[in-house]
Amino acid sequence: MEKEFKVPPVSFASVGNPAGQNLQNRRVPIPPFQPNSGIPFMSFDIGSAAVSTSSGPIYSGPGIGGGGSVNFDDEEPLLDELGIHPDQIWSKIRSVLNPFRVNHTVHKDSDLSGPILLYMAFCLFQLLAGKIQFGVILGWIVVSSIFLYVVFNMLAGRTGNLDLHTCTSVVGYSMLPVVIFSAISLFLPQGGFFGLAIAAVFVLWATRASTGLVVSLTDGGDEHRGLIAYACFLIYTLFSLLVIF
Amino acid sequence: MYNNVRPQLGVPQFQPQLPTSSQPNVFGNAFNAAGSGLIRGGLGAYGEKIFGSSSEYVQSNITRYFSDPQYYFQVNDHYVKNKLKVVLFPFLHRGHWTRITEPVGGRLSYKPPIYDINAPDLYIPLMAFGTYVVLAGISLGLRGKFSPEALNWLFIKGMVGWCMQTALLKLTLLSLGSGEAPLLDIVAYAGYTFAGMSLAALGKIISGYSYYVLMPWFCLCMGIFLVKTMKRVLFAEVRSYDSSKHHYLLLFIALAQFPLFMWLGNITVNWFI
Repeated sequence: MEKEFKVPPVSFASVGNPAGQNLQNRRVPIPPFQPNSGIPFMSFDIGSAAVSTSSGPIYSGPGIGGGGSVNFDDEEPLLDELGIHPDQIWSKIRSVLNPFRVNHTVHKDSDLSGPILLYMAFCLFQLLAGKIQFGVILGWIVVSSIFLYVVFNMLAGRTGNLDLHTCTSVVGYSMLPVVIFSAISLFLPQGGFFGLAIAAVFVLWATRASTGLVVSLTDGGDEHRGLIAYACFLIYTLFSLLVIF
Repeated sequence: MYNNVRPQLGVPQFQPQLPTSSQPNVFGNAFNAAGSGLIRGGLGAYGEKIFGSSSEYVQSNITRYFSDPQYYFQVNDHYVKNKLKVVLFPFLHRGHWTRITEPVGGRLSYKPPIYDINAPDLYIPLMAFGTYVVLAGISLGLRGKFSPEALNWLFIKGMVGWCMQTALLKLTLLSLGSGEAPLLDIVAYAGYTFAGMSLAALGKIISGYSYYVLMPWFCLCMGIFLVKTMKRVLFAEVRSYDSSKHHYLLLFIALAQFPLFMWLGNITVNWFI
Protein backbone atom coordinates (compact mmCIF):
# COMPACT_ATOMS: atom_id res chain seq x y z
CA MET A 1 0.00 0.00 0.00
CA GLU A 2 1.41 3.31 -0.80
CA LYS A 3 0.79 6.27 1.32
CA GLU A 4 1.36 9.86 0.56
CA PHE A 5 3.36 11.65 3.18
CA LYS A 6 3.41 15.32 3.47
CA VAL A 7 7.05 16.19 3.31
CA PRO A 8 8.11 19.73 3.91
CA PRO A 9 10.00 21.14 0.97
CA VAL A 10 13.72 20.87 1.29
CA SER A 11 15.75 23.65 -0.15
CA PHE A 12 19.45 23.35 -0.51
CA ALA A 13 21.63 26.39 -0.42
CA SER A 14 22.93 27.22 -3.86
CA VAL A 15 26.67 26.96 -4.17
CA GLY A 16 27.31 30.54 -5.12
CA ASN A 17 26.11 32.16 -1.91
CA PRO A 18 28.62 33.06 0.74
CA ALA A 19 28.37 30.61 3.64
CA GLY A 20 28.26 33.15 6.41
CA GLN A 21 25.08 34.70 5.18
CA ASN A 22 23.24 31.41 5.05
CA LEU A 23 24.40 30.30 8.39
CA GLN A 24 23.15 33.47 9.83
CA ASN A 25 19.84 32.85 8.14
CA ARG A 26 19.54 29.44 9.65
CA ARG A 27 20.74 29.86 13.15
CA VAL A 28 19.26 32.11 15.74
CA PRO A 29 22.11 33.84 17.41
CA ILE A 30 22.41 32.63 20.97
CA PRO A 31 23.53 35.18 23.52
CA PRO A 32 26.64 34.10 25.39
CA PHE A 33 26.06 32.35 28.70
CA GLN A 34 25.67 34.74 31.59
CA PRO A 35 26.44 33.20 34.92
CA ASN A 36 24.02 33.89 37.67
CA SER A 37 25.23 37.10 39.10
CA GLY A 38 23.90 36.18 42.52
CA ILE A 39 26.97 33.99 43.29
CA PRO A 40 29.94 36.06 44.30
CA PHE A 41 32.93 35.16 42.23
CA MET A 42 36.19 35.36 44.08
CA SER A 43 38.99 36.35 41.86
CA PHE A 44 42.32 35.12 43.01
CA ASP A 45 45.80 36.19 42.36
CA ILE A 46 48.34 33.41 41.92
CA GLY A 47 51.15 35.39 43.41
CA SER A 48 49.45 35.89 46.71
CA ALA A 49 48.14 32.35 47.18
CA ALA A 50 49.34 30.59 50.31
CA VAL A 51 51.88 27.92 49.51
CA SER A 52 51.84 24.87 51.76
CA THR A 53 54.75 24.78 54.09
CA SER A 54 55.02 21.14 54.95
CA SER A 55 54.67 19.53 51.57
CA GLY A 56 57.55 21.25 49.99
CA PRO A 57 57.35 22.00 46.29
CA ILE A 58 53.88 20.54 45.83
CA TYR A 59 51.51 23.37 44.93
CA SER A 60 48.00 23.21 46.38
CA GLY A 61 45.25 23.69 43.84
CA PRO A 62 43.39 26.94 43.44
CA GLY A 63 40.36 27.38 45.64
CA ILE A 64 37.01 27.63 43.94
CA GLY A 65 34.94 30.44 45.32
CA GLY A 66 31.54 29.32 46.33
CA GLY A 67 29.64 30.48 49.30
CA GLY A 68 32.01 33.31 49.82
CA SER A 69 33.03 32.66 53.41
CA VAL A 70 35.89 30.18 52.86
CA ASN A 71 39.08 32.10 52.64
CA PHE A 72 41.58 30.55 50.32
CA ASP A 73 44.45 31.28 52.63
CA ASP A 74 42.91 29.22 55.44
CA GLU A 75 42.55 26.00 53.47
CA GLU A 76 44.77 23.07 54.17
CA PRO A 77 47.28 22.00 51.61
CA LEU A 78 45.84 19.30 49.38
CA LEU A 79 48.18 16.51 50.42
CA ASP A 80 47.55 17.14 54.09
CA GLU A 81 43.85 17.11 53.49
CA LEU A 82 44.13 13.82 51.68
CA GLY A 83 46.28 12.38 54.43
CA ILE A 84 49.28 11.72 52.21
CA HIS A 85 52.57 12.57 53.83
CA PRO A 86 55.40 12.09 51.34
CA ASP A 87 58.20 12.25 53.87
CA GLN A 88 56.54 9.59 55.99
CA ILE A 89 56.06 7.40 52.93
CA TRP A 90 59.70 7.86 52.02
CA SER A 91 60.91 6.96 55.50
CA LYS A 92 58.73 3.85 55.52
CA ILE A 93 60.05 2.77 52.15
CA ARG A 94 63.59 3.37 53.33
CA SER A 95 62.97 1.24 56.38
CA VAL A 96 61.95 -1.72 54.24
CA LEU A 97 64.99 -1.19 52.04
CA ASN A 98 67.35 -2.66 54.61
CA PRO A 99 66.69 -6.39 54.64
CA PHE A 100 68.43 -7.15 57.88
CA ARG A 101 66.97 -4.68 60.27
CA VAL A 102 63.51 -3.33 59.59
CA ASN A 103 62.81 -0.20 61.57
CA HIS A 104 59.29 -0.81 62.70
CA THR A 105 58.72 2.38 64.67
CA VAL A 106 58.02 4.41 61.57
CA HIS A 107 55.26 1.97 60.62
CA LYS A 108 53.27 2.59 63.75
CA ASP A 109 50.52 4.47 61.96
CA SER A 110 49.55 2.57 58.89
CA ASP A 111 48.65 4.30 55.70
CA LEU A 112 47.60 3.06 52.33
CA SER A 113 49.05 5.70 50.07
CA GLY A 114 52.54 4.23 50.13
CA PRO A 115 51.24 0.80 49.09
CA ILE A 116 49.26 2.42 46.29
CA LEU A 117 52.41 4.15 45.11
CA LEU A 118 54.32 0.87 45.16
CA TYR A 119 51.42 -0.84 43.40
CA MET A 120 51.51 1.73 40.59
CA ALA A 121 55.27 1.32 40.29
CA PHE A 122 54.90 -2.47 40.10
CA CYS A 123 52.19 -2.21 37.46
CA LEU A 124 54.36 0.25 35.54
CA PHE A 125 57.30 -2.14 35.44
CA GLN A 126 55.04 -5.00 34.42
CA LEU A 127 53.66 -2.76 31.68
CA LEU A 128 57.19 -2.14 30.46
CA ALA A 129 57.60 -5.89 30.29
CA GLY A 130 54.51 -6.10 28.14
CA LYS A 131 52.10 -7.49 30.71
CA ILE A 132 48.98 -5.49 31.41
CA GLN A 133 48.11 -6.73 34.89
CA PHE A 134 46.70 -3.78 36.79
CA GLY A 135 43.55 -5.50 37.92
CA VAL A 136 45.26 -8.78 38.61
CA ILE A 137 47.83 -7.25 40.94
CA LEU A 138 45.28 -5.16 42.79
CA GLY A 139 43.03 -8.15 43.27
CA TRP A 140 45.90 -10.27 44.48
CA ILE A 141 46.99 -7.64 46.97
CA VAL A 142 43.48 -7.45 48.40
CA VAL A 143 43.09 -11.22 48.59
CA SER A 144 46.49 -11.80 50.10
CA SER A 145 46.06 -9.13 52.75
CA ILE A 146 42.72 -10.67 53.73
CA PHE A 147 44.44 -14.07 53.82
CA LEU A 148 47.24 -12.81 56.06
CA TYR A 149 44.72 -11.03 58.27
CA VAL A 150 42.67 -14.19 58.76
CA VAL A 151 45.69 -16.42 59.34
CA PHE A 152 47.32 -14.05 61.81
CA ASN A 153 44.20 -13.45 63.85
CA MET A 154 43.30 -17.12 63.93
CA LEU A 155 46.78 -18.08 65.03
CA ALA A 156 47.08 -15.38 67.63
CA GLY A 157 43.63 -16.04 69.08
CA ARG A 158 42.28 -13.55 71.50
CA THR A 159 45.55 -11.75 71.99
CA GLY A 160 45.89 -10.86 68.34
CA ASN A 161 45.05 -7.33 67.32
CA LEU A 162 45.97 -7.02 63.67
CA ASP A 163 43.42 -5.00 61.79
CA LEU A 164 42.89 -5.03 58.07
CA HIS A 165 44.26 -1.54 57.47
CA THR A 166 47.57 -2.34 59.14
CA CYS A 167 47.70 -5.68 57.38
CA THR A 168 47.24 -4.14 53.95
CA SER A 169 49.77 -1.46 54.78
CA VAL A 170 52.37 -4.04 55.80
CA VAL A 171 51.73 -6.23 52.75
CA GLY A 172 51.93 -3.20 50.51
CA TYR A 173 55.15 -1.79 51.89
CA SER A 174 56.84 -5.18 51.88
CA MET A 175 56.15 -5.37 48.15
CA LEU A 176 59.11 -3.09 47.63
CA PRO A 177 61.54 -5.99 46.99
CA VAL A 178 59.13 -7.44 44.43
CA VAL A 179 58.92 -4.05 42.71
CA ILE A 180 62.72 -3.88 42.58
CA PHE A 181 62.77 -7.43 41.24
CA SER A 182 60.33 -6.56 38.48
CA ALA A 183 62.49 -3.58 37.55
CA ILE A 184 65.60 -5.76 37.44
CA SER A 185 63.91 -8.56 35.53
CA LEU A 186 63.38 -6.20 32.61
CA PHE A 187 67.06 -6.64 31.90
CA LEU A 188 67.32 -10.36 32.57
CA PRO A 189 66.58 -13.29 30.24
CA GLN A 190 62.98 -14.31 30.56
CA GLY A 191 61.69 -17.33 32.42
CA GLY A 192 63.29 -20.53 33.53
CA PHE A 193 65.21 -21.58 36.57
CA PHE A 194 67.44 -18.53 36.49
CA GLY A 195 64.49 -16.28 37.18
CA LEU A 196 63.42 -18.54 40.01
CA ALA A 197 66.84 -18.39 41.62
CA ILE A 198 66.99 -14.61 41.55
CA ALA A 199 63.38 -14.40 42.70
CA ALA A 200 64.22 -16.46 45.76
CA VAL A 201 66.48 -13.70 47.09
CA PHE A 202 63.85 -11.01 46.72
CA VAL A 203 61.06 -13.17 48.05
CA LEU A 204 63.07 -13.98 51.13
CA TRP A 205 63.79 -10.29 51.61
CA ALA A 206 60.09 -9.44 51.35
CA THR A 207 59.15 -12.27 53.70
CA ARG A 208 61.64 -11.14 56.29
CA ALA A 209 60.46 -7.55 56.09
CA SER A 210 56.77 -8.34 56.32
CA THR A 211 57.14 -10.90 59.11
CA GLY A 212 59.23 -8.51 61.13
CA LEU A 213 56.70 -5.74 60.66
CA VAL A 214 53.67 -7.86 61.46
CA VAL A 215 55.21 -9.38 64.56
CA SER A 216 56.50 -6.12 65.94
CA LEU A 217 53.39 -4.07 65.20
CA THR A 218 50.93 -6.40 66.91
CA ASP A 219 50.62 -8.26 70.15
CA GLY A 220 50.08 -11.92 69.72
CA GLY A 221 52.49 -12.83 66.98
CA ASP A 222 55.71 -13.67 68.76
CA GLU A 223 55.34 -17.37 69.27
CA HIS A 224 53.98 -17.93 65.78
CA ARG A 225 56.74 -16.19 63.91
CA GLY A 226 57.63 -19.13 61.71
CA LEU A 227 54.02 -19.87 60.84
CA ILE A 228 53.32 -16.29 59.84
CA ALA A 229 56.58 -16.19 57.91
CA TYR A 230 55.44 -19.11 55.80
CA ALA A 231 52.15 -17.39 54.99
CA CYS A 232 54.02 -14.25 53.89
CA PHE A 233 56.44 -16.40 51.90
CA LEU A 234 53.52 -17.87 49.94
CA ILE A 235 52.10 -14.43 49.24
CA TYR A 236 55.31 -12.98 47.85
CA THR A 237 56.11 -16.11 45.86
CA LEU A 238 52.79 -15.59 44.11
CA PHE A 239 53.72 -12.04 43.17
CA SER A 240 57.14 -13.07 41.99
CA LEU A 241 55.48 -15.63 39.72
CA LEU A 242 53.77 -12.74 37.99
CA VAL A 243 57.14 -11.15 37.44
CA ILE A 244 59.06 -14.21 36.27
CA PHE A 245 56.53 -15.73 33.95
CA MET B 1 30.15 -34.43 72.51
CA TYR B 2 31.67 -32.76 69.59
CA ASN B 3 31.25 -29.19 70.71
CA ASN B 4 34.84 -28.13 70.90
CA VAL B 5 35.94 -26.17 73.88
CA ARG B 6 36.73 -22.55 73.44
CA PRO B 7 40.40 -21.66 73.81
CA GLN B 8 41.37 -21.26 77.40
CA LEU B 9 44.39 -19.11 76.89
CA GLY B 10 44.14 -17.60 80.32
CA VAL B 11 41.26 -15.35 79.33
CA PRO B 12 38.29 -15.61 81.64
CA GLN B 13 35.71 -15.50 78.89
CA PHE B 14 34.82 -19.17 78.74
CA GLN B 15 31.28 -19.75 77.53
CA PRO B 16 29.80 -23.21 77.95
CA GLN B 17 28.41 -24.77 74.80
CA LEU B 18 24.68 -25.34 74.99
CA PRO B 19 22.78 -27.05 72.17
CA THR B 20 20.25 -24.28 71.94
CA SER B 21 22.87 -21.66 72.16
CA SER B 22 22.03 -18.57 74.08
CA GLN B 23 24.53 -16.54 72.10
CA PRO B 24 22.73 -15.24 69.05
CA ASN B 25 25.68 -14.86 66.80
CA VAL B 26 28.01 -17.85 66.59
CA PHE B 27 30.02 -16.25 63.82
CA GLY B 28 30.33 -13.06 65.80
CA ASN B 29 31.83 -14.96 68.70
CA ALA B 30 34.10 -17.01 66.53
CA PHE B 31 35.57 -13.87 65.07
CA ASN B 32 35.71 -12.14 68.43
CA ALA B 33 38.73 -14.26 68.96
CA ALA B 34 40.16 -12.50 65.95
CA GLY B 35 40.16 -9.42 68.08
CA SER B 36 39.59 -6.94 65.33
CA GLY B 37 37.33 -3.97 65.54
CA LEU B 38 36.41 -4.17 61.89
CA ILE B 39 35.26 -7.76 61.86
CA ARG B 40 33.78 -7.66 65.30
CA GLY B 41 31.72 -4.57 64.63
CA GLY B 42 30.55 -5.55 61.18
CA LEU B 43 29.96 -9.22 61.73
CA GLY B 44 28.53 -8.66 65.16
CA ALA B 45 25.93 -6.37 63.72
CA TYR B 46 25.12 -8.83 60.95
CA GLY B 47 25.11 -11.69 63.40
CA GLU B 48 22.47 -9.97 65.48
CA LYS B 49 20.41 -9.39 62.38
CA ILE B 50 20.79 -12.85 60.89
CA PHE B 51 20.56 -15.02 63.95
CA GLY B 52 18.62 -12.87 66.31
CA SER B 53 15.31 -13.42 64.66
CA SER B 54 15.75 -16.95 63.35
CA SER B 55 14.34 -20.03 64.94
CA GLU B 56 16.22 -22.11 67.43
CA TYR B 57 16.33 -25.01 65.02
CA VAL B 58 18.44 -23.05 62.58
CA GLN B 59 20.63 -21.80 65.39
CA SER B 60 21.39 -25.22 66.70
CA ASN B 61 22.08 -26.52 63.21
CA ILE B 62 24.57 -23.78 62.47
CA THR B 63 26.33 -24.42 65.76
CA ARG B 64 26.46 -28.08 64.90
CA TYR B 65 27.86 -27.61 61.40
CA PHE B 66 30.43 -24.91 62.01
CA SER B 67 32.26 -25.56 65.23
CA ASP B 68 34.52 -22.85 66.47
CA PRO B 69 37.30 -22.41 63.86
CA GLN B 70 39.68 -20.95 66.43
CA TYR B 71 40.17 -24.43 67.88
CA TYR B 72 41.84 -25.56 64.68
CA PHE B 73 44.39 -22.79 64.67
CA GLN B 74 45.88 -23.34 68.08
CA VAL B 75 49.13 -24.66 66.73
CA ASN B 76 52.77 -24.02 67.18
CA ASP B 77 55.97 -24.89 65.36
CA HIS B 78 56.50 -28.13 67.21
CA TYR B 79 53.01 -29.39 66.41
CA VAL B 80 53.29 -28.43 62.75
CA LYS B 81 56.59 -30.25 62.28
CA ASN B 82 55.44 -33.42 63.97
CA LYS B 83 52.04 -33.41 62.30
CA LEU B 84 53.68 -33.11 58.90
CA LYS B 85 55.83 -36.10 59.77
CA VAL B 86 52.72 -38.05 60.75
CA VAL B 87 50.85 -37.08 57.59
CA LEU B 88 53.66 -37.73 55.17
CA PHE B 89 55.09 -40.85 56.80
CA PRO B 90 52.25 -42.34 58.80
CA PHE B 91 53.87 -45.72 59.17
CA LEU B 92 56.62 -44.15 61.27
CA HIS B 93 54.18 -42.95 63.92
CA ARG B 94 54.90 -45.07 66.92
CA GLY B 95 52.27 -43.73 69.29
CA HIS B 96 48.54 -44.26 69.32
CA TRP B 97 46.15 -42.55 66.96
CA THR B 98 43.31 -41.66 69.28
CA ARG B 99 42.56 -38.09 70.23
CA ILE B 100 42.89 -37.15 73.84
CA THR B 101 39.65 -36.13 75.45
CA GLU B 102 39.21 -33.99 78.48
CA PRO B 103 36.07 -33.29 80.45
CA VAL B 104 35.34 -29.61 80.14
CA GLY B 105 32.28 -28.00 81.63
CA GLY B 106 30.44 -31.23 82.07
CA ARG B 107 30.85 -32.64 78.59
CA LEU B 108 33.68 -34.48 76.94
CA SER B 109 35.65 -32.56 74.35
CA TYR B 110 38.94 -32.98 72.60
CA LYS B 111 42.16 -31.27 73.49
CA PRO B 112 43.36 -28.56 71.12
CA PRO B 113 46.11 -29.39 68.63
CA ILE B 114 48.95 -27.93 70.71
CA TYR B 115 48.48 -30.65 73.29
CA ASP B 116 47.52 -33.51 71.05
CA ILE B 117 49.36 -34.62 67.94
CA ASN B 118 46.33 -36.51 66.67
CA ALA B 119 43.98 -33.54 66.70
CA PRO B 120 43.17 -32.07 63.29
CA ASP B 121 44.08 -28.49 62.56
CA LEU B 122 43.28 -26.12 59.73
CA TYR B 123 46.60 -24.31 59.48
CA ILE B 124 48.46 -27.13 57.73
CA PRO B 125 45.70 -27.82 55.17
CA LEU B 126 45.41 -24.12 54.34
CA MET B 127 49.15 -23.66 53.91
CA ALA B 128 49.50 -26.92 52.03
CA PHE B 129 46.75 -25.84 49.65
CA GLY B 130 48.50 -22.52 49.07
CA THR B 131 51.79 -24.32 48.50
CA TYR B 132 50.17 -26.65 46.02
CA VAL B 133 48.67 -23.75 44.05
CA VAL B 134 52.00 -21.88 43.98
CA LEU B 135 53.98 -24.96 42.96
CA ALA B 136 51.45 -25.84 40.29
CA GLY B 137 51.78 -22.28 39.01
CA ILE B 138 55.56 -22.65 38.87
CA SER B 139 55.31 -25.92 36.99
CA LEU B 140 52.89 -24.35 34.51
CA GLY B 141 55.25 -21.44 34.11
CA LEU B 142 58.20 -23.66 33.37
CA ARG B 143 56.16 -25.17 30.57
CA GLY B 144 55.35 -21.71 29.27
CA LYS B 145 51.65 -21.79 30.01
CA PHE B 146 51.47 -19.46 32.99
CA SER B 147 48.95 -16.66 33.16
CA PRO B 148 46.99 -15.18 36.06
CA GLU B 149 43.83 -16.79 34.75
CA ALA B 150 45.62 -20.15 34.77
CA LEU B 151 46.41 -19.61 38.42
CA ASN B 152 42.75 -18.90 39.15
CA TRP B 153 41.92 -22.11 37.36
CA LEU B 154 44.40 -24.07 39.46
CA PHE B 155 42.90 -22.57 42.60
CA ILE B 156 39.43 -23.66 41.58
CA LYS B 157 40.64 -27.10 40.61
CA GLY B 158 42.31 -27.49 44.00
CA MET B 159 39.17 -26.38 45.80
CA VAL B 160 37.11 -28.88 43.85
CA GLY B 161 39.59 -31.60 44.79
CA TRP B 162 39.38 -30.59 48.43
CA CYS B 163 35.58 -30.64 48.30
CA MET B 164 35.56 -34.03 46.65
CA GLN B 165 37.83 -35.45 49.31
CA THR B 166 35.62 -33.95 52.02
CA ALA B 167 32.55 -35.36 50.35
CA LEU B 168 34.16 -38.79 50.17
CA LEU B 169 34.94 -38.83 53.87
CA LYS B 170 31.61 -37.34 54.85
CA LEU B 171 29.64 -39.78 52.72
CA THR B 172 31.56 -42.68 54.20
CA LEU B 173 30.62 -41.51 57.64
CA LEU B 174 27.02 -40.93 56.64
CA SER B 175 26.67 -44.32 55.05
CA LEU B 176 27.57 -45.87 58.35
CA GLY B 177 24.82 -43.95 60.01
CA SER B 178 26.73 -41.27 61.84
CA GLY B 179 26.80 -37.69 60.68
CA GLU B 180 27.96 -36.15 63.88
CA ALA B 181 31.61 -35.48 63.28
CA PRO B 182 32.14 -31.72 62.96
CA LEU B 183 32.38 -30.58 59.38
CA LEU B 184 35.59 -28.68 60.02
CA ASP B 185 37.22 -31.89 61.29
CA ILE B 186 36.43 -33.59 58.00
CA VAL B 187 37.59 -30.54 56.05
CA ALA B 188 40.87 -30.64 57.97
CA TYR B 189 41.44 -34.35 57.33
CA ALA B 190 40.68 -33.84 53.67
CA GLY B 191 43.08 -30.93 53.43
CA TYR B 192 46.05 -33.00 54.53
CA THR B 193 46.20 -34.50 51.03
CA PHE B 194 47.68 -31.24 49.81
CA ALA B 195 50.77 -31.73 51.92
CA GLY B 196 51.73 -34.87 50.03
CA MET B 197 50.50 -33.34 46.80
CA SER B 198 52.76 -30.32 47.22
CA LEU B 199 55.80 -32.52 47.66
CA ALA B 200 54.86 -34.50 44.57
CA ALA B 201 54.46 -31.24 42.63
CA LEU B 202 57.86 -30.10 43.90
CA GLY B 203 59.31 -33.35 42.66
CA LYS B 204 57.71 -32.73 39.29
CA ILE B 205 59.41 -29.37 39.04
CA ILE B 206 62.83 -30.60 40.07
CA SER B 207 62.93 -33.70 37.91
CA GLY B 208 60.17 -35.02 35.73
CA TYR B 209 60.74 -38.67 36.57
CA SER B 210 60.79 -38.37 40.33
CA TYR B 211 57.13 -37.36 40.13
CA TYR B 212 56.16 -40.87 39.01
CA VAL B 213 57.81 -42.26 42.13
CA LEU B 214 56.71 -39.62 44.61
CA MET B 215 53.08 -39.46 43.58
CA PRO B 216 52.11 -43.09 44.25
CA TRP B 217 54.22 -43.01 47.40
CA PHE B 218 52.37 -40.04 48.88
CA CYS B 219 49.11 -41.45 47.64
CA LEU B 220 49.77 -44.58 49.65
CA CYS B 221 50.85 -42.61 52.69
CA MET B 222 47.74 -40.47 52.54
CA GLY B 223 45.62 -43.58 52.23
CA ILE B 224 47.21 -45.09 55.33
CA PHE B 225 46.81 -41.84 57.26
CA LEU B 226 43.15 -41.52 56.33
CA VAL B 227 42.42 -45.13 57.14
CA LYS B 228 44.00 -44.87 60.56
CA THR B 229 42.28 -41.58 61.33
CA MET B 230 38.87 -42.55 60.06
CA LYS B 231 39.05 -45.80 61.96
CA ARG B 232 39.31 -43.83 65.20
CA VAL B 233 36.57 -41.48 64.08
CA LEU B 234 34.32 -44.41 63.30
CA PHE B 235 35.04 -45.98 66.66
CA ALA B 236 34.11 -42.79 68.41
CA GLU B 237 31.05 -42.09 66.30
CA VAL B 238 29.21 -45.07 65.07
CA ARG B 239 26.92 -46.90 67.44
CA SER B 240 26.85 -50.32 65.92
CA TYR B 241 30.17 -51.88 65.17
CA ASP B 242 29.79 -53.72 61.89
CA SER B 243 33.32 -54.84 61.31
CA SER B 244 33.30 -55.97 57.71
CA LYS B 245 31.34 -52.97 56.43
CA HIS B 246 33.74 -50.66 58.24
CA HIS B 247 36.75 -52.33 56.71
CA TYR B 248 35.37 -52.28 53.19
CA LEU B 249 34.61 -48.60 53.45
CA LEU B 250 38.05 -47.84 54.82
CA LEU B 251 39.60 -49.78 51.97
CA PHE B 252 37.46 -47.82 49.54
CA ILE B 253 38.73 -44.56 51.03
CA ALA B 254 42.30 -45.67 50.61
CA LEU B 255 41.77 -46.78 47.01
CA ALA B 256 39.91 -43.59 46.11
CA GLN B 257 43.05 -41.60 46.87
CA PHE B 258 44.68 -42.83 43.67
CA PRO B 259 42.34 -41.23 41.13
CA LEU B 260 42.21 -38.08 43.23
CA PHE B 261 45.97 -37.75 43.32
CA MET B 262 46.28 -38.50 39.64
CA TRP B 263 43.72 -35.84 38.84
CA LEU B 264 45.29 -33.23 41.10
CA GLY B 265 48.79 -34.07 40.03
CA ASN B 266 48.03 -33.63 36.39
CA ILE B 267 48.66 -29.91 36.37
CA THR B 268 47.00 -28.40 33.34
CA VAL B 269 44.57 -25.68 32.49
CA ASN B 270 41.78 -28.05 31.50
CA TRP B 271 39.63 -30.22 33.68
CA PHE B 272 41.17 -33.54 32.80
CA ILE B 273 43.81 -33.45 30.16
